[in-house]
Parts: sequence; structure tokens; C-alpha cells
Amino acid sequence: MPQLTILILVLCAGMGLSVEAGLLGPLGEQVGHLSATLSIFLVGALLLSLAMVFVARPSISILFNQPRWLLTGGLLGPVYVVVLTVTTPLVGVGMTMVGILCGQVAASLVIDHFGWLGSERRAVDSYRVGALVLILAALWLIY
Amino acid sequence: MLLTLMYPLLLLGGAVLAAQSSVNGRLGSTVGVLTSAWLTFSMGAVVTFLLVFFFEPHHEATLFSVPKWQLTGALFGVIYMLAIVFAIPRVGTAAATVAVISGQMLMSLMIDHFGWLGNARLPLDGPRIMAIILLASALCLIYMSNTRRERLVACSS
Repeated sequence: MPQLTILILVLCAGMGLSVEAGLLGPLGEQVGHLSATLSIFLVGALLLSLAMVFVARPSISILFNQPRWLLTGGLLGPVYVVVLTVTTPLVGVGMTMVGILCGQVAASLVIDHFGWLGSERRAVDSYRVGALVLILAALWLIY
Repeated sequence: MLLTLMYPLLLLGGAVLAAQSSVNGRLGSTVGVLTSAWLTFSMGAVVTFLLVFFFEPHHEATLFSVPKWQLTGALFGVIYMLAIVFAIPRVGTAAATVAVISGQMLMSLMIDHFGWLGNARLPLDGPRIMAIILLASALCLIYMSNTRRERLVACSS
């Protein structure tokens, strides 16, 4: 699949993520933010469990042959949620989003640059620095 | 004092998201997109269940009493996770992250503009349109960085 198609696909998935956040905010106000997050993970896990049943060869056995650090993805998501619940009341939603997004973009450039976490190396070049600057400017304009 | 501690914490929260995507992408390339997403959601459910059990203050409403449409956010979360696990081994963490963020911002600006999902209307103004243009340009730059790298790799091999 060409790169551009993949990027557009991911962009659409990101749009869905905003809808999720739009639903999650008011839900969290009513039932608590941890419970709201639980609903996302629980419903998601159950739907994917159903999907796994109908996959030709779900690779659960291969899963536990992997190095353990590769299985920690699910532990990191809740860390983010906890950070969000702790900081939002203290610094406000706008600042929270800016901080999170800056951390996210910066870390993604660093991970690519050094080829950390088993990813392919993609060195920081002038294009990538330019992209970082544009994103910071966009954040500044919105918040 | 407490406030200055918040900023590194926020950056850490963002960095953790990028790390999570990267780890999941790596796992997905060996065990498959669906299995990787399944593990992430299952582990996330286990951890948040424990957090809710021990740390959630009492609320009048519960997940069982709110209108069901409020619980449909997970659908978008699942689609996102599948897309990101598929994309990361192919385009890299930075490109995928920038694409996700652009999509998120585009949609949240649209939600604000039209007042969807019961939000107050915040019409698109000059700075917000400018922000969309900047985000699109950022995505273009990452794309150019990737394609240039592919050309270099193709030449050297």
C-alpha cells in the first residue's frame, strides 16, 4: 500500500479519536474519568475478543513467545489516562493537550531517529524539524 | 511548585503515547494487527479495572445507567488501534503520530465549528484555518522526509 494511502487512513483514524474524546469527556463527568476509560478498554477488548474467534489463526501462542517488553503496550495507555486526570484540573484542558501533543511528537521523532523499541531508523532531517515547528505554531494558534 | 511539576508530567504522558504506538507497531508486525490490538485493549481493561476498583470516587451515575450511545467511543478507539498498528511498521512512528494528530485536530475543529456531540459552537476563524494549513504542511514535510529517505535507501542498495 502506498505511503500516502496509509497516512490518509491514519488521519481518518485520528478523526475518529476526536469523536471518542468528545464522547469520553461528558461521560467522565458523569461516571468518573477512570470508569469512562474502563468502558473504552472493556468494550474494545470484548469486541476484539469476538473478532479473534473468527480469525483463521489467531496467534496467541506466538504472543507469549515474544520478549516481555513487547507486551507492555497495554500498560502504557492507562499511564496516559492517569496523567490526564491528574493534570487537567490543575492546568486546564488547553495546556494539557498542548503538553501531551508536544511530548508525543517530540518522542516520536526521537524514537524514529534512534530506532528505539525495535523500530526502523529514520534520522531527524530538516523536513522533520520543519514539521515540528509547524505543529508547535498550529498548537499556539488553536490554544 | 506543584504546577511546574505538571509540565514534565504532561510531556511524559505524550511520550508514553508515542512509545505505546511504537511498541504495538513492532508487536503487530510479528503477531498480526488484530492480536496486537486485542492484547493492548485487554491489558488496558485489566489495569483500568483495578484503578476503578481502588481509586474511583463514588458517582451518582454508573456505566450501566448512562445512555448507551455514550459508550460507543470504544468503536473509534478500536479502529484507531488497528490503523496505527498497521501503519507504524510501514511509515514510522513520527509520520503516523503527525497524521493522527492532524486528524484529531481537524475533527475537533469541526466538532467545535458545528457544535456536534452537544458541544458549544466555536466557529472556524482565521487562526484556526491557519492552524489547519500548518498541520497539513507538517504532514507533507514528514511525508517528503520519508520518501526522500526511501530514494536514498534505493540508491545505496
